Amino acid sequence: MSAIIQCNDLSKSFGRKTALQQVSFELIPGETAALIGPNGAGKTTLFSILCGYLRPDSGKVQIFGHQPGSHSLFGKVAALPQDAQFDPAFGIGEQLDFYGRLQGLSRKAARAETTRVLALVDLSEHYAHKASALSHGMRKRAAIAQAFIGAPQLILLDEPTAGLDPANALHIRQLIGRLSGEVSFMISSHNIFELEQLCNKVLYLQLGQLSSQSNSDNGTAEQQYLTLQLEQDSSDGLIAALNQLTGLISLQQLQKKELVLCYNPAQNAQFDLAVLQCLAVNGWGYRNFIKGQTLEQKLFSV
Amino acid sequence: MSNSLTLFQHAGMYASFELRRLWQTRPGLMTLAATTVIWALLFRYAIMPAADLIASRGFIDFISGVFGNTGLQQLSQWPAPELAVYWFFSLLLLPLFSLFFTANQLCSDLERGTLRFLSLRSSRTAIVLGRFAGQMLVQACLILLTLLATLLLASWRSGGVSFDMLSATLVILLNLLIVLLPFTALMSVFSALARSAKLAVSLAIVTLGLCFALLSWFIFYFPDFLFLLGYLPGAQVFQLLPLHGWQTLQLAILPIAQAAALLVLASIFVNRRAL
Repeated sequence: MSAIIQCNDLSKSFGRKTALQQVSFELIPGETAALIGPNGAGKTTLFSILCGYLRPDSGKVQIFGHQPGSHSLFGKVAALPQDAQFDPAFGIGEQLDFYGRLQGLSRKAARAETTRVLALVDLSEHYAHKASALSHGMRKRAAIAQAFIGAPQLILLDEPTAGLDPANALHIRQLIGRLSGEVSFMISSHNIFELEQLCNKVLYLQLGQLSSQSNSDNGTAEQQYLTLQLEQDSSDGLIAALNQLTGLISLQQLQKKELVLCYNPAQNAQFDLAVLQCLAVNGWGYRNFIKGQTLEQKLFSV
Repeated sequence: MSNSLTLFQHAGMYASFELRRLWQTRPGLMTLAATTVIWALLFRYAIMPAADLIASRGFIDFISGVFGNTGLQQLSQWPAPELAVYWFFSLLLLPLFSLFFTANQLCSDLERGTLRFLSLRSSRTAIVLGRFAGQMLVQACLILLTLLATLLLASWRSGGVSFDMLSATLVILLNLLIVLLPFTALMSVFSALARSAKLAVSLAIVTLGLCFALLSWFIFYFPDFLFLLGYLPGAQVFQLLPLHGWQTLQLAILPIAQAAALLVLASIFVNRRAL
Protein backbone atom coordinates (compact mmCIF):
# COMPACT_ATOMS: atom_id res chain seq x y z
CA MET A 1 0.00 0.00 0.00
CA SER A 2 1.50 3.38 -0.97
CA ALA A 3 2.18 5.69 1.92
CA ILE A 4 0.26 8.93 2.38
CA ILE A 5 3.16 10.53 4.20
CA GLN A 6 6.68 9.38 3.55
CA CYS A 7 9.40 11.11 5.58
CA ASN A 8 13.03 10.15 5.16
CA ASP A 9 15.82 11.54 7.35
CA LEU A 10 14.18 14.90 7.93
CA SER A 11 16.36 17.41 9.74
CA LYS A 12 15.70 21.00 10.64
CA SER A 13 17.66 23.47 12.75
CA PHE A 14 16.97 27.00 13.88
CA GLY A 15 20.40 28.53 14.35
CA ARG A 16 22.25 26.26 16.72
CA LYS A 17 19.10 24.58 17.98
CA THR A 18 18.27 21.30 16.31
CA ALA A 19 14.51 20.96 16.05
CA LEU A 20 14.42 17.72 14.05
CA GLN A 21 17.13 15.18 13.51
CA GLN A 22 16.93 12.39 10.94
CA VAL A 23 13.21 11.80 11.40
CA SER A 24 11.81 9.00 9.24
CA PHE A 25 8.32 7.52 9.28
CA GLU A 26 5.41 6.75 7.03
CA LEU A 27 1.65 6.93 7.31
CA ILE A 28 -0.51 4.61 5.27
CA PRO A 29 -4.14 5.23 4.24
CA GLY A 30 -6.67 4.91 7.02
CA GLU A 31 -4.10 5.29 9.77
CA THR A 32 -4.59 7.85 12.48
CA ALA A 33 -1.23 8.80 13.86
CA ALA A 34 -0.50 10.48 17.17
CA LEU A 35 2.46 12.78 17.42
CA ILE A 36 3.57 12.92 21.01
CA GLY A 37 6.49 14.51 22.74
CA PRO A 38 7.46 16.97 25.43
CA ASN A 39 7.48 20.73 24.82
CA GLY A 40 10.20 21.68 22.36
CA ALA A 41 10.46 18.12 21.01
CA GLY A 42 9.89 19.30 17.44
CA LYS A 43 6.22 18.39 16.97
CA THR A 44 5.14 21.75 15.58
CA THR A 45 8.26 21.92 13.40
CA LEU A 46 7.37 18.53 11.93
CA PHE A 47 3.78 19.67 11.42
CA SER A 48 4.97 22.88 9.75
CA ILE A 49 7.16 20.90 7.36
CA LEU A 50 4.30 18.55 6.51
CA CYS A 51 2.02 21.51 5.82
CA GLY A 52 4.66 23.20 3.67
CA TYR A 53 5.09 26.16 6.04
CA LEU A 54 8.74 25.31 6.63
CA ARG A 55 11.37 23.64 4.48
CA PRO A 56 13.56 20.94 5.99
CA ASP A 57 17.32 21.52 5.96
CA SER A 58 17.83 18.00 4.68
CA GLY A 59 15.88 14.84 4.09
CA LYS A 60 12.86 14.18 1.96
CA VAL A 61 9.16 14.43 2.64
CA GLN A 62 6.38 13.44 0.30
CA ILE A 63 2.64 13.58 0.82
CA PHE A 64 0.61 11.57 -1.70
CA GLY A 65 3.84 11.49 -3.71
CA HIS A 66 4.20 15.27 -3.83
CA GLN A 67 6.22 17.82 -1.95
CA PRO A 68 4.32 19.63 0.84
CA GLY A 69 2.74 22.86 -0.39
CA SER A 70 2.54 21.51 -3.93
CA HIS A 71 -0.36 22.48 -6.16
CA SER A 72 -1.52 18.86 -6.32
CA LEU A 73 -2.19 18.81 -2.57
CA PHE A 74 -4.58 21.79 -2.47
CA GLY A 75 -7.86 20.55 -1.04
CA LYS A 76 -6.39 17.09 -0.47
CA VAL A 77 -4.44 17.97 2.68
CA ALA A 78 -6.07 20.05 5.40
CA ALA A 79 -4.61 21.24 8.66
CA LEU A 80 -5.30 22.94 11.93
CA PRO A 81 -2.12 24.95 12.36
CA GLN A 82 -1.12 26.04 15.83
CA ASP A 83 -1.97 29.67 16.66
CA ALA A 84 -3.27 30.57 13.18
CA GLN A 85 -6.02 33.19 13.36
CA PHE A 86 -8.76 34.29 11.01
CA ASP A 87 -8.79 37.71 9.37
CA PRO A 88 -10.48 39.99 11.95
CA ALA A 89 -12.08 42.18 9.28
CA PHE A 90 -14.44 39.49 7.94
CA GLY A 91 -17.02 37.16 9.42
CA ILE A 92 -15.98 33.56 10.05
CA GLY A 93 -18.50 32.20 7.56
CA GLU A 94 -17.42 34.57 4.82
CA GLN A 95 -13.83 33.40 5.21
CA LEU A 96 -14.83 29.74 5.18
CA ASP A 97 -16.83 30.42 1.99
CA PHE A 98 -13.71 31.94 0.49
CA TYR A 99 -11.58 28.94 1.49
CA GLY A 100 -14.13 26.66 -0.11
CA ARG A 101 -13.99 28.66 -3.32
CA LEU A 102 -10.19 28.47 -3.32
CA GLN A 103 -10.63 24.70 -3.09
CA GLY A 104 -12.60 24.82 -6.32
CA LEU A 105 -16.17 24.89 -5.03
CA SER A 106 -18.79 27.07 -6.68
CA ARG A 107 -20.16 30.00 -4.69
CA LYS A 108 -23.28 28.03 -3.80
CA ALA A 109 -21.43 24.82 -2.95
CA ALA A 110 -18.92 26.78 -0.82
CA ARG A 111 -21.78 28.31 1.15
CA ALA A 112 -23.36 24.88 1.69
CA GLU A 113 -19.97 23.49 2.76
CA THR A 114 -19.51 26.35 5.24
CA THR A 115 -22.91 25.63 6.73
CA ARG A 116 -21.99 21.93 7.03
CA VAL A 117 -18.59 22.44 8.69
CA LEU A 118 -19.89 25.12 11.06
CA ALA A 119 -22.60 22.68 12.14
CA LEU A 120 -19.93 20.02 12.70
CA VAL A 121 -18.29 22.21 15.33
CA ASP A 122 -21.55 23.59 16.69
CA LEU A 123 -21.04 27.11 15.36
CA SER A 124 -23.97 27.34 12.94
CA GLU A 125 -25.26 30.48 14.63
CA HIS A 126 -21.97 32.29 14.23
CA TYR A 127 -21.65 32.51 10.43
CA ALA A 128 -21.63 36.30 10.41
CA HIS A 129 -19.56 36.78 13.56
CA LYS A 130 -16.03 38.05 13.33
CA ALA A 131 -13.26 36.14 15.06
CA SER A 132 -12.87 38.93 17.63
CA ALA A 133 -16.46 38.40 18.74
CA LEU A 134 -15.87 34.72 19.51
CA SER A 135 -14.33 33.15 22.59
CA HIS A 136 -10.97 31.37 22.39
CA GLY A 137 -12.67 27.97 22.27
CA MET A 138 -15.07 29.08 19.55
CA ARG A 139 -12.21 30.44 17.46
CA LYS A 140 -10.46 27.12 17.86
CA ARG A 141 -13.57 25.27 16.71
CA ALA A 142 -13.89 27.59 13.72
CA ALA A 143 -10.26 26.81 12.86
CA ILE A 144 -11.07 23.10 13.13
CA ALA A 145 -14.08 23.67 10.85
CA GLN A 146 -11.83 25.07 8.09
CA ALA A 147 -9.86 21.82 8.14
CA PHE A 148 -13.00 19.86 7.25
CA ILE A 149 -13.99 21.94 4.20
CA GLY A 150 -14.34 19.84 1.06
CA ALA A 151 -13.11 16.28 1.07
CA PRO A 152 -9.56 16.24 2.40
CA GLN A 153 -7.85 12.86 2.47
CA LEU A 154 -5.33 13.81 5.12
CA ILE A 155 -5.99 16.12 8.05
CA LEU A 156 -3.14 17.33 10.24
CA LEU A 157 -4.34 18.61 13.59
CA ASP A 158 -1.97 20.40 15.93
CA GLU A 159 -3.41 20.36 19.47
CA PRO A 160 -7.05 20.14 18.31
CA THR A 161 -8.65 20.11 21.76
CA ALA A 162 -6.26 22.38 23.66
CA GLY A 163 -8.28 25.23 25.14
CA LEU A 164 -11.66 23.59 24.51
CA ASP A 165 -14.14 22.88 27.28
CA PRO A 166 -14.65 19.16 28.06
CA ALA A 167 -17.96 18.92 26.18
CA ASN A 168 -16.55 20.43 23.01
CA ALA A 169 -13.31 18.45 23.32
CA LEU A 170 -15.42 15.30 23.46
CA HIS A 171 -17.44 16.51 20.48
CA ILE A 172 -14.24 17.05 18.44
CA ARG A 173 -12.89 13.64 19.47
CA GLN A 174 -16.16 12.03 18.38
CA LEU A 175 -15.95 13.88 15.08
CA ILE A 176 -12.41 12.67 14.44
CA GLY A 177 -13.35 9.16 15.54
CA ARG A 178 -16.31 9.14 13.14
CA LEU A 179 -14.18 10.21 10.18
CA SER A 180 -11.20 7.98 10.96
CA GLY A 181 -10.86 5.35 8.31
CA GLU A 182 -12.37 7.50 5.56
CA VAL A 183 -9.76 10.18 6.23
CA SER A 184 -6.23 9.77 7.56
CA PHE A 185 -5.38 11.94 10.52
CA MET A 186 -2.18 12.98 12.18
CA ILE A 187 -2.79 14.52 15.56
CA SER A 188 -0.37 16.28 17.82
CA SER A 189 -1.43 16.58 21.42
CA HIS A 190 -0.24 16.45 25.01
CA ASN A 191 -3.41 14.62 25.95
CA ILE A 192 -2.27 11.00 25.86
CA PHE A 193 -5.67 9.61 26.82
CA GLU A 194 -7.24 11.44 23.88
CA LEU A 195 -4.62 10.12 21.47
CA GLU A 196 -5.09 6.62 22.86
CA GLN A 197 -8.77 6.77 21.96
CA LEU A 198 -8.25 8.18 18.49
CA CYS A 199 -4.97 6.88 17.10
CA ASN A 200 -3.72 3.52 15.93
CA LYS A 201 -0.14 4.66 15.39
CA VAL A 202 2.10 6.59 17.71
CA LEU A 203 5.14 8.69 16.87
CA TYR A 204 7.06 9.76 19.93
CA LEU A 205 9.39 12.69 19.36
CA GLN A 206 12.03 13.60 21.88
CA LEU A 207 14.73 16.22 21.38
CA GLY A 208 13.96 16.30 17.67
CA GLN A 209 14.37 12.57 17.23
CA LEU A 210 11.74 9.94 16.70
CA SER A 211 12.47 7.87 19.77
CA SER A 212 9.70 5.34 19.25
CA GLN A 213 7.17 4.43 16.63
CA SER A 214 4.49 1.89 17.37
CA ASN A 215 1.16 0.61 16.18
CA SER A 216 -1.73 -0.16 18.48
CA ASP A 217 -0.88 -3.83 19.00
CA ASN A 218 -1.09 -5.08 22.56
CA GLY A 219 1.93 -7.27 22.85
CA THR A 220 3.14 -10.42 21.09
CA ALA A 221 1.92 -14.00 20.72
CA GLU A 222 3.94 -14.97 23.80
CA GLN A 223 3.32 -11.90 25.87
CA GLN A 224 0.09 -9.95 26.34
CA TYR A 225 -0.91 -7.28 28.83
CA LEU A 226 -3.95 -6.45 30.91
CA THR A 227 -4.35 -3.25 32.90
CA LEU A 228 -6.55 -3.46 35.97
CA GLN A 229 -7.86 -0.46 37.86
CA LEU A 230 -9.32 -1.42 41.21
CA GLU A 231 -12.00 0.22 43.30
CA GLN A 232 -9.92 -0.12 46.44
CA ASP A 233 -6.17 -0.17 47.11
CA SER A 234 -4.59 -3.47 46.13
CA SER A 235 -3.77 -5.75 49.05
CA ASP A 236 -1.19 -8.46 49.55
CA GLY A 237 -4.06 -10.98 49.41
CA LEU A 238 -5.16 -9.77 45.98
CA ILE A 239 -1.63 -9.80 44.59
CA ALA A 240 -1.04 -13.27 45.98
CA ALA A 241 -4.30 -14.53 44.42
CA LEU A 242 -3.45 -13.03 41.02
CA ASN A 243 0.05 -14.48 41.18
CA GLN A 244 -1.51 -17.92 41.41
CA LEU A 245 -3.20 -17.60 38.00
CA THR A 246 -1.95 -19.88 35.25
CA GLY A 247 -0.08 -18.05 32.48
CA LEU A 248 0.91 -14.98 34.51
CA ILE A 249 4.43 -13.85 33.63
CA SER A 250 4.68 -10.75 35.77
CA LEU A 251 2.54 -8.41 37.81
CA GLN A 252 3.45 -4.76 38.15
CA GLN A 253 1.81 -2.37 40.56
CA LEU A 254 1.85 1.10 39.00
CA GLN A 255 -0.24 2.86 41.61
CA LYS A 256 -2.09 1.75 44.70
CA LYS A 257 -5.16 0.95 42.62
CA GLU A 258 -3.56 0.06 39.30
CA LEU A 259 -1.94 -3.19 38.25
CA VAL A 260 -0.45 -4.33 34.94
CA LEU A 261 -0.52 -8.06 34.35
CA CYS A 262 1.75 -9.62 31.75
CA TYR A 263 0.70 -13.13 30.68
CA ASN A 264 1.37 -15.81 28.13
CA PRO A 265 -1.80 -16.47 26.06
CA ALA A 266 -0.37 -19.79 24.87
CA GLN A 267 -0.52 -21.06 28.46
CA ASN A 268 -3.93 -19.56 29.23
CA ALA A 269 -6.04 -18.28 26.36
CA GLN A 270 -8.77 -17.11 28.77
CA PHE A 271 -6.50 -15.33 31.21
CA ASP A 272 -8.75 -12.27 31.26
CA LEU A 273 -11.73 -14.35 32.35
CA ALA A 274 -9.60 -15.98 35.03
CA VAL A 275 -8.70 -12.53 36.40
CA LEU A 276 -12.36 -11.47 36.51
CA GLN A 277 -13.34 -14.72 38.23
CA CYS A 278 -10.57 -14.26 40.76
CA LEU A 279 -11.85 -10.76 41.55
CA ALA A 280 -15.47 -11.94 41.79
CA VAL A 281 -14.71 -14.92 44.02
CA ASN A 282 -12.82 -12.72 46.47
CA GLY A 283 -15.30 -9.84 46.32
CA TRP A 284 -12.84 -7.32 44.97
CA GLY A 285 -14.42 -4.62 42.79
CA TYR A 286 -12.75 -3.07 39.78
CA ARG A 287 -13.25 0.21 37.98
CA ASN A 288 -11.56 -0.47 34.67
CA PHE A 289 -10.18 -3.54 32.94
CA ILE A 290 -8.16 -2.80 29.81
CA LYS A 291 -6.74 -5.23 27.31
CA GLY A 292 -3.16 -4.14 26.74
CA GLN A 293 -1.09 -1.40 28.26
CA THR A 294 -2.13 2.21 28.23
CA LEU A 295 -0.27 4.45 25.81
CA GLU A 296 1.26 6.20 28.80
CA GLN A 297 2.68 2.89 30.07
CA LYS A 298 4.00 1.97 26.64
CA LEU A 299 5.70 5.28 26.04
CA PHE A 300 7.08 6.04 29.43
CA SER A 301 7.40 2.51 30.84
CA VAL A 302 6.11 3.65 34.19
CA MET B 1 -6.87 22.36 -14.51
CA SER B 2 -3.45 23.70 -15.42
CA ASN B 3 -1.31 25.28 -12.75
CA SER B 4 -1.16 28.70 -14.43
CA LEU B 5 -4.91 28.82 -14.91
CA THR B 6 -5.43 27.98 -11.22
CA LEU B 7 -2.79 30.58 -10.30
CA PHE B 8 -4.65 33.36 -12.13
CA GLN B 9 -8.03 32.12 -10.95
CA HIS B 10 -6.86 32.19 -7.32
CA ALA B 11 -5.19 35.58 -7.83
CA GLY B 12 -8.51 36.89 -9.16
CA MET B 13 -10.32 35.56 -6.08
CA TYR B 14 -7.85 37.24 -3.75
CA ALA B 15 -8.19 40.50 -5.70
CA SER B 16 -11.98 40.50 -5.47
CA PHE B 17 -11.76 39.65 -1.75
CA GLU B 18 -9.57 42.75 -1.29
CA LEU B 19 -12.17 44.81 -3.08
CA ARG B 20 -14.76 43.54 -0.62
CA ARG B 21 -12.42 44.61 2.16
CA LEU B 22 -12.64 48.20 0.86
CA TRP B 23 -16.40 48.38 0.59
CA GLN B 24 -17.64 45.99 3.28
CA THR B 25 -15.26 46.17 6.22
CA ARG B 26 -14.50 48.79 8.81
CA PRO B 27 -10.79 49.18 7.87
CA GLY B 28 -11.83 49.57 4.22
CA LEU B 29 -14.41 52.21 5.06
CA MET B 30 -11.79 54.02 7.15
CA THR B 31 -9.54 54.07 4.06
CA LEU B 32 -12.41 55.54 2.07
CA ALA B 33 -13.03 58.13 4.77
CA ALA B 34 -9.33 59.11 4.87
CA THR B 35 -9.26 59.42 1.09
CA THR B 36 -12.40 61.55 1.18
CA VAL B 37 -10.91 63.93 3.74
CA ILE B 38 -7.63 64.33 1.83
CA TRP B 39 -9.37 64.86 -1.49
CA ALA B 40 -11.99 67.14 0.04
CA LEU B 41 -9.16 69.44 1.11
CA LEU B 42 -7.57 69.24 -2.33
CA PHE B 43 -10.92 69.93 -3.96
CA ARG B 44 -11.61 72.86 -1.72
CA TYR B 45 -8.25 74.54 -1.96
CA ALA B 46 -6.83 73.40 -5.34
CA ILE B 47 -9.26 71.84 -7.76
CA MET B 48 -12.30 74.09 -7.27
CA PRO B 49 -10.25 77.22 -7.77
CA ALA B 50 -8.20 75.43 -10.47
CA ALA B 51 -8.56 78.13 -13.09
CA ASP B 52 -7.41 80.79 -10.62
CA LEU B 53 -4.62 78.54 -9.30
CA ILE B 54 -3.15 77.88 -12.73
CA ALA B 55 -3.19 81.61 -13.40
CA SER B 56 -1.64 82.45 -10.02
CA ARG B 57 1.87 83.82 -9.91
CA GLY B 58 3.13 81.28 -7.35
CA PHE B 59 1.98 78.26 -9.35
CA ILE B 60 3.36 79.68 -12.63
CA ASP B 61 6.70 80.41 -10.97
CA PHE B 62 6.85 76.90 -9.52
CA ILE B 63 6.01 75.12 -12.79
CA SER B 64 8.32 77.38 -14.82
CA GLY B 65 11.10 76.90 -12.28
CA VAL B 66 10.90 73.12 -12.38
CA PHE B 67 9.84 72.36 -15.94
CA GLY B 68 10.47 75.59 -17.85
CA ASN B 69 7.96 77.44 -19.99
CA THR B 70 7.18 74.30 -22.01
CA GLY B 71 5.83 72.61 -18.87
CA LEU B 72 3.47 75.48 -18.19
CA GLN B 73 2.26 75.49 -21.78
CA GLN B 74 1.66 71.74 -21.70
CA LEU B 75 -0.28 71.97 -18.42
CA SER B 76 -2.56 74.59 -19.89
CA GLN B 77 -3.34 72.28 -22.80
CA TRP B 78 -5.44 69.91 -20.67
CA PRO B 79 -9.11 70.34 -21.71
CA ALA B 80 -10.08 71.63 -18.25
CA PRO B 81 -7.97 73.39 -15.60
CA GLU B 82 -9.54 71.12 -12.95
CA LEU B 83 -8.13 68.06 -14.72
CA ALA B 84 -4.73 69.76 -15.09
CA VAL B 85 -4.58 70.50 -11.36
CA TYR B 86 -5.83 67.00 -10.52
CA TRP B 87 -3.11 65.57 -12.80
CA PHE B 88 -0.45 67.70 -11.12
CA PHE B 89 -1.37 66.92 -7.51
CA SER B 90 -2.25 63.27 -7.97
CA LEU B 91 1.02 62.52 -9.77
CA LEU B 92 2.96 64.00 -6.87
CA LEU B 93 0.84 62.74 -3.97
CA LEU B 94 -0.56 59.34 -4.95
CA PRO B 95 2.77 57.44 -5.04
CA LEU B 96 3.36 58.54 -1.46
CA PHE B 97 -0.20 57.66 -0.40
CA SER B 98 0.20 54.34 -2.15
CA LEU B 99 3.12 53.40 0.09
CA PHE B 100 0.85 53.84 3.12
CA PHE B 101 -2.41 52.45 1.72
CA THR B 102 -0.90 49.28 0.29
CA ALA B 103 1.59 48.50 3.06
CA ASN B 104 -0.52 45.77 4.61
CA GLN B 105 -0.73 43.40 1.67
CA LEU B 106 0.76 40.46 3.55
CA CYS B 107 2.31 41.43 6.88
CA SER B 108 -0.79 41.18 9.08
CA ASP B 109 -1.72 37.83 7.58
CA LEU B 110 1.83 36.58 8.03
CA GLU B 111 1.95 37.75 11.63
CA ARG B 112 -1.52 36.39 12.46
CA GLY B 113 -0.94 33.07 10.71
CA THR B 114 -3.88 33.53 8.32
CA LEU B 115 -1.53 32.74 5.44
CA ARG B 116 -1.22 29.22 6.87
CA PHE B 117 -4.91 28.66 6.14
CA LEU B 118 -4.55 30.17 2.68
CA SER B 119 -1.34 28.42 1.64
CA LEU B 120 -3.04 25.04 2.08
CA ARG B 121 -5.44 26.02 -0.68
CA SER B 122 -3.47 28.15 -3.10
CA SER B 123 0.12 28.85 -4.04
CA ARG B 124 2.00 31.61 -2.29
CA THR B 125 2.60 33.25 -5.68
CA ALA B 126 -1.18 33.43 -6.21
CA ILE B 127 -1.50 35.12 -2.82
CA VAL B 128 1.16 37.72 -3.72
CA LEU B 129 -0.30 38.42 -7.16
CA GLY B 130 -3.86 38.45 -5.86
CA ARG B 131 -3.14 40.85 -3.03
CA PHE B 132 -1.21 43.11 -5.41
CA ALA B 133 -4.04 43.05 -7.97
CA GLY B 134 -6.51 43.68 -5.16
CA GLN B 135 -4.63 46.75 -4.01
CA MET B 136 -4.48 48.03 -7.58
CA LEU B 137 -8.25 47.55 -7.89
CA VAL B 138 -8.81 49.38 -4.62
CA GLN B 139 -6.63 52.26 -5.78
CA ALA B 140 -8.38 52.27 -9.16
CA CYS B 141 -11.71 52.65 -7.34
CA LEU B 142 -10.41 55.52 -5.22
CA ILE B 143 -8.84 57.28 -8.22
CA LEU B 144 -11.96 56.78 -10.32
CA LEU B 145 -14.18 58.27 -7.62
CA THR B 146 -12.05 61.38 -7.18
CA LEU B 147 -11.53 61.70 -10.92
CA LEU B 148 -15.28 61.52 -11.56
CA ALA B 149 -15.79 64.20 -8.93
CA THR B 150 -13.21 66.37 -10.71
CA LEU B 151 -14.91 65.74 -14.06
CA LEU B 152 -18.26 66.70 -12.56
CA LEU B 153 -16.77 69.90 -11.23
CA ALA B 154 -15.17 70.69 -14.57
CA SER B 155 -18.40 69.99 -16.48
CA TRP B 156 -20.42 72.08 -14.02
CA ARG B 157 -18.06 75.01 -14.52
CA SER B 158 -17.82 74.70 -18.28
CA GLY B 159 -21.46 73.79 -18.80
CA GLY B 160 -21.00 70.22 -20.14
CA VAL B 161 -18.71 67.26 -20.72
CA SER B 162 -16.71 67.21 -23.93
CA PHE B 163 -15.09 64.21 -25.61
CA ASP B 164 -11.68 65.75 -24.85
CA MET B 165 -12.52 65.88 -21.15
CA LEU B 166 -13.59 62.23 -21.12
CA SER B 167 -10.48 61.22 -23.02
CA ALA B 168 -8.28 63.22 -20.63
CA THR B 169 -9.99 61.55 -17.67
CA LEU B 170 -9.18 58.14 -19.12
CA VAL B 171 -5.58 59.20 -19.79
CA ILE B 172 -5.18 60.36 -16.20
CA LEU B 173 -6.71 57.16 -14.79
CA LEU B 174 -4.45 54.91 -16.88
CA ASN B 175 -1.34 56.92 -16.15
CA LEU B 176 -1.95 57.08 -12.43
CA LEU B 177 -2.47 53.33 -12.29
CA ILE B 178 0.76 52.79 -14.22
CA VAL B 179 2.62 55.18 -11.93
CA LEU B 180 1.29 53.34 -8.87
CA LEU B 181 2.23 49.88 -10.17
CA PRO B 182 5.88 49.88 -8.97
CA PHE B 183 5.00 51.52 -5.65
CA THR B 184 2.32 48.93 -4.93
CA ALA B 185 4.67 46.15 -6.02
CA LEU B 186 7.38 47.65 -3.80
CA MET B 187 5.00 47.34 -0.86
CA SER B 188 4.33 43.71 -1.86
CA VAL B 189 8.04 43.14 -1.31
CA PHE B 190 8.26 44.97 2.00
CA SER B 191 5.01 43.57 3.35
CA ALA B 192 6.50 40.11 2.75
CA LEU B 193 9.52 41.06 4.86
CA ALA B 194 8.08 43.19 7.66
CA ARG B 195 6.00 42.15 10.66
CA SER B 196 3.71 45.19 10.48
CA ALA B 197 2.44 47.69 7.95
CA LYS B 198 4.21 50.53 9.79
CA LEU B 199 7.52 48.71 9.57
CA ALA B 200 6.91 47.94 5.90
CA VAL B 201 6.36 51.66 5.16
CA SER B 202 9.46 52.63 7.14
CA LEU B 203 11.54 50.02 5.33
CA ALA B 204 10.26 51.20 1.95
CA ILE B 205 10.98 54.87 2.65
CA VAL B 206 14.43 54.14 4.08
CA THR B 207 15.31 51.83 1.18
CA LEU B 208 14.14 54.30 -1.46
CA GLY B 209 16.05 57.09 0.31
CA LEU B 210 19.18 54.98 0.62
CA CYS B 211 19.02 53.92 -3.02
CA PHE B 212 18.69 57.55 -4.08
CA ALA B 213 21.55 58.66 -1.78
CA LEU B 214 23.90 55.85 -2.87
CA LEU B 215 23.09 56.39 -6.51
CA SER B 216 23.65 60.15 -6.18
CA TRP B 217 26.98 59.49 -4.47
CA PHE B 218 27.99 57.07 -7.23
CA ILE B 219 26.94 59.51 -9.95
CA PHE B 220 28.93 62.27 -8.27
CA TYR B 221 32.08 60.25 -8.99
CA PHE B 222 30.88 58.67 -12.25
CA PRO B 223 28.67 61.28 -13.95
CA ASP B 224 28.27 59.08 -17.03
CA PHE B 225 25.85 56.98 -14.99
CA LEU B 226 23.39 59.82 -14.42
CA PHE B 227 20.83 57.89 -16.46
CA LEU B 228 20.55 55.36 -13.59
CA LEU B 229 18.49 57.84 -11.57
CA GLY B 230 15.77 57.43 -14.18
CA TYR B 231 15.35 53.79 -13.17
CA LEU B 232 14.25 54.52 -9.61
CA PRO B 233 10.54 53.91 -8.98
CA GLY B 234 8.61 57.08 -9.67
CA ALA B 235 11.47 58.76 -11.51
CA GLN B 236 9.24 59.20 -14.55
CA VAL B 237 6.74 61.28 -12.55
CA PHE B 238 8.70 64.46 -13.17
CA GLN B 239 8.85 63.64 -16.88
CA LEU B 240 5.11 62.99 -16.90
CA LEU B 241 4.09 66.21 -15.13
CA PRO B 242 4.61 68.54 -18.08
CA LEU B 243 3.06 66.09 -20.58
CA HIS B 244 -0.61 65.72 -21.48
CA GLY B 245 -2.89 63.49 -23.55
CA TRP B 246 -2.04 60.03 -24.83
CA GLN B 247 1.64 60.93 -25.31
CA THR B 248 1.99 60.32 -21.57
CA LEU B 249 1.78 56.55 -22.17
CA GLN B 250 5.18 56.60 -23.88
CA LEU B 251 6.67 56.43 -20.37
CA ALA B 252 4.63 53.38 -19.35
CA ILE B 253 7.13 50.62 -20.09
CA LEU B 254 9.56 51.35 -17.26
CA PRO B 255 7.02 51.30 -14.37
CA ILE B 256 5.40 48.17 -15.77
CA ALA B 257 8.80 46.44 -15.97
CA GLN B 258 9.70 47.68 -12.46
CA ALA B 259 6.43 46.32 -11.07
CA ALA B 260 6.97 42.94 -12.76
CA ALA B 261 10.51 42.69 -11.35
CA LEU B 262 9.35 43.69 -7.86
CA LEU B 263 6.51 41.17 -7.94
CA VAL B 264 8.93 38.40 -8.88
CA LEU B 265 11.06 39.48 -5.92
CA ALA B 266 8.04 39.53 -3.57
CA SER B 267 7.02 36.09 -4.76
CA ILE B 268 10.54 34.74 -4.14
CA PHE B 269 10.55 36.21 -0.61
CA VAL B 270 7.12 34.82 0.26
CA ASN B 271 7.91 31.41 -1.21
CA ARG B 272 11.17 31.16 0.72
CA ARG B 273 9.98 32.38 4.09
CA ALA B 274 8.56 30.27 6.88
CA LEU B 275 4.87 30.76 7.60
